[in-house]
Amino acid sequence: MAIRIRAQEAARVRPVSARAPWWERNLAWLLVAPAIAMFALFAIYPTASALLFSLSRARLIRGSLERTYIGLDNFRRAFEDPLVRQSAAFTIKWSLSVTAMEVLLGLLIALLVSQLARGRGLITSLLIIPIIMPPVSVAVAWRFMYDPAFGIFNYLLNLVGLGDVYWLSDPDVATYALMAVDVWQTTPFVFLLLYAGLISLPRDPYEAAAIDGASPWFTFRTVTLPLLKPVLLVVILLRVIDSARIFDKILVMTRGGPGSQNYSMTYTIYQEFIPKFDFGYTAALSFLFQLSLVIVATIYVRRVMADYSAPAE
Amino acid sequence: MAGESRIGTLLRYAGIALVLAIVLFPVYWMINMSFKDTAEFTARPPTMIVKRPTWENYRDILISQGFDRYAWNSLLTALTAAVVAVTVGSLMAYALSRFRLPKNFNYHLLFTILTVRMFPPILSLIPLYYIYKQIGLLDTRFGLGLIHAWVEVPLVVWMMIGFFRDIPRDMEEAALVDGDTRLGVLRKIAVPLARPGLAATFILVFISSWNEFLFALILNSRNQTLPIAVAGQITQFEIRYGNLMAAGVFATVPVLILAFLTQRHLTRGLTVGGVTG
Repeated sequence: MAIRIRAQEAARVRPVSARAPWWERNLAWLLVAPAIAMFALFAIYPTASALLFSLSRARLIRGSLERTYIGLDNFRRAFEDPLVRQSAAFTIKWSLSVTAMEVLLGLLIALLVSQLARGRGLITSLLIIPIIMPPVSVAVAWRFMYDPAFGIFNYLLNLVGLGDVYWLSDPDVATYALMAVDVWQTTPFVFLLLYAGLISLPRDPYEAAAIDGASPWFTFRTVTLPLLKPVLLVVILLRVIDSARIFDKILVMTRGGPGSQNYSMTYTIYQEFIPKFDFGYTAALSFLFQLSLVIVATIYVRRVMADYSAPAE
Repeated sequence: MAGESRIGTLLRYAGIALVLAIVLFPVYWMINMSFKDTAEFTARPPTMIVKRPTWENYRDILISQGFDRYAWNSLLTALTAAVVAVTVGSLMAYALSRFRLPKNFNYHLLFTILTVRMFPPILSLIPLYYIYKQIGLLDTRFGLGLIHAWVEVPLVVWMMIGFFRDIPRDMEEAALVDGDTRLGVLRKIAVPLARPGLAATFILVFISSWNEFLFALILNSRNQTLPIAVAGQITQFEIRYGNLMAAGVFATVPVLILAFLTQRHLTRGLTVGGVTG
């Protein structure tokens, strides 16, 4: 995955003469300038003003923003808010479970497909469909299948003599039903990454293992898994961070329900923001959320990926 | 593996068939249901293949619910996003693949841009609402397209660096020796040669903007894009599932067509950037 700038290649283009016009001499900077401008407009400035908001009581009153400095009150309120604690716990549980299932299933499918003699291309193209579908369409398709009265799942359950399940409103079931939808949509993405990693592994260790008469399971544990580990670690990090931001499927399928059981962090922030326009509190919440993601990622990269990440060039 | 039993091979194909069935069934089911009339919709047992296909649901969403307008909003937003992201991102990618900036800036820029990919700007959302309100970009398709573009600039940079690197350097150097300017080289040689890559990247950004939900919901509630309109079909009191399924399919079809147009590069794009919700 790592793309390195090949310094010697870049240097091969000869230097521009000093008499060239200024835009020719500074072309490299001019080319990166729009990206840097966007970075300033969409990342730096909003982050700075989010920090400012989070230290203020800031509300939209008749179209204009009224802001007074209140120190850390918003953060204090966030830590005491039971809904925030609950949605933080939900998000952690969601992110870890979904990642675990997706990586396991994705690895399984990748191993399966890589052993097929024919049809790999076709299978890969079909598996791409869920990845590119609008998450909202995925959510409505599943919401209908989960419908207690008209859904296919309860029809099948009734067929084998079982009673109705209230997939999205039964507190014991709803979270898992939601997770299943995310696993359905994103496992193919994990598959794609792991499959790409798998088919680019060197062949020699496998030939050696075959000569030694190693069993498939033994080969998997001692050859495939260690070789694939760098890719696996990156995929896990990507999925933990991405899945923690779950929002659209939850909004479409249960509106965080039953009750507030399935409020993710993003959903809680949305709930606080849209009707009330409480800029201060929601900025504090998103700041805390973003910060925890950065901390998780940093610790993960330092501790878990340390041995595998290539040194910076 | 030649000596291995046929049963093993058979089991593998059975396994993959099961996976494909699970992956494809919900999509098929949504399409199937979207063509059913009310009577067939509630029929038990449900018909596995629609018996009396009807356009009723599609007519409903297009004519009485204005989905043509939502599609137009989505199209304009996604085009803005794709044009801006591909322009900004590939200029940067070209600079990073051809020039050496001082103080290891190449590496720093690439790393910073990767951070953006890792942490999409949820923190920016709330201030952006206010900034957009002040400068008049709130509830505009252009404003939404801009933020969608920004989210995908990292993907464009990472993909286009790969494509630019594949272009042989000799042609560009020859043109430089012939007295062409560097900007001229970029315009007349690099861009035309990188066209397949640019097209693939364009489509990926388009798809990602087309699918995006959170920013579209908050920053552009007046010119709703398709995902917001689809979600809007679900009200507190009743859900007209027939219309809902048609809406879901309607939002999906353009994306599927685009994906199949760019198949060759799609896998690369997805593995580099990940157009995931």
